[in-house]
Amino acid sequence: MASKGVSLKVKGKSSASKSKGSSSSSSSDEKSMCKALKDWSNWGLKKAKVIAHYGFIPLVIIIGMNSEPKPSLSQLLSPV
Amino acid sequence: MAAPTSFNTTKPTVETKEKVDYFNLPCPIPYEEMHREALMSLKPEVFEGMRFDFTKGINQKFALSHSVFMGPTEIPSQSSETIKIPTAHYEFGANYLDPKLMLLGRVLTDGRVNARVKCDLSDNLILKANAQLTSEPHMSHCMVNFDYKGKDYRSQFQLGNGALFGANYIQSVTPNLSLGGEVFWAGQHRKSGVGYAARYSTDKMVATGQVASTGIVALSYVQKVSEKVSLASDFMYNYMSRDVTASFGYDYILRQCRLRGKIDSNGCVTSFLEERLNMGLNFILSAEIDHRKKDYKFGFGLTVGE
Repeated sequence: MASKGVSLKVKGKSSASKSKGSSSSSSSDEKSMCKALKDWSNWGLKKAKVIAHYGFIPLVIIIGMNSEPKPSLSQLLSPV
Repeated sequence: MAAPTSFNTTKPTVETKEKVDYFNLPCPIPYEEMHREALMSLKPEVFEGMRFDFTKGINQKFALSHSVFMGPTEIPSQSSETIKIPTAHYEFGANYLDPKLMLLGRVLTDGRVNARVKCDLSDNLILKANAQLTSEPHMSHCMVNFDYKGKDYRSQFQLGNGALFGANYIQSVTPNLSLGGEVFWAGQHRKSGVGYAARYSTDKMVATGQVASTGIVALSYVQKVSEKVSLASDFMYNYMSRDVTASFGYDYILRQCRLRGKIDSNGCVTSFLEERLNMGLNFILSAEIDHRKKDYKFGFGLTVGE
């Protein structure tokens, strides 16, 4: 009886591990997809940070120079 | 000859109180600006050293600013002594102000960029972003806010770097009273918090109170004594760290100058004077005397331009 229980348990375990194995492959797929998504978003955020760091002030200047009434370049550079 | 008509007919001297229309309440002040009168009066930007700001307007909407600062800067130290390092920097800034879009950028000589964006996506939805970017890794901060303004309420959703999420909501309950609450969640530090705030304002006074689960209780009261004078007091209590601070200050807005001063329960006396010497020329004097730490800070500066 005990052995039967044990064998059943073992069978149960193997079937469970088998199902886990199949689900783990799909979950590992999901995990790798999540990881890839995280890596891509990190890369994107890093690039966005560098772009904002170097490009924000030039962007403000370009938008300002194109606003009405259009100022000239000498007005931008002269201290008066 | 006709008798002269009398102009002043006797008016009833009793003021009839207008019935409060609870469906037509005014829009409340934004949640983060709830303490703004107290903050303006009690926390002027005191500095130590020399400051020179020059703002050059190129256009109605576009302006460049140049700013020079020379003076000691405090660095945080573990001991009770204050450590100051003399620093000097030049800051270049560009501002673009449109009714619908505001862009503010500042860059310092050490490469730090301070950027602020405010964009009106629609009549009621406003996007605000604030970022401090440095070349050092992991030292940059960014915060993005989405504000929605309803008829008599405002709500805001905040996103910050380091998985910081926050939301707040404030509602006008009567024409003078508005109540609000906020929640935030900081992923990196695994902290979350809830807070409540209330603001009661009339023509002559503003009283605000704020409680947060981070342990802060902050109360403030500002009384407008006259057109030129207002007095403010502030009380802050942190029940986690048992830290109490009370301060009392005044704010004189006169024709040619603005003088603000305050005294603190930490033994700190502050005074800040902005004097308008001429059109577009302002002279600034700042003084902060900390009797307890024996730290004396005096600064002067000049601001040219609007």
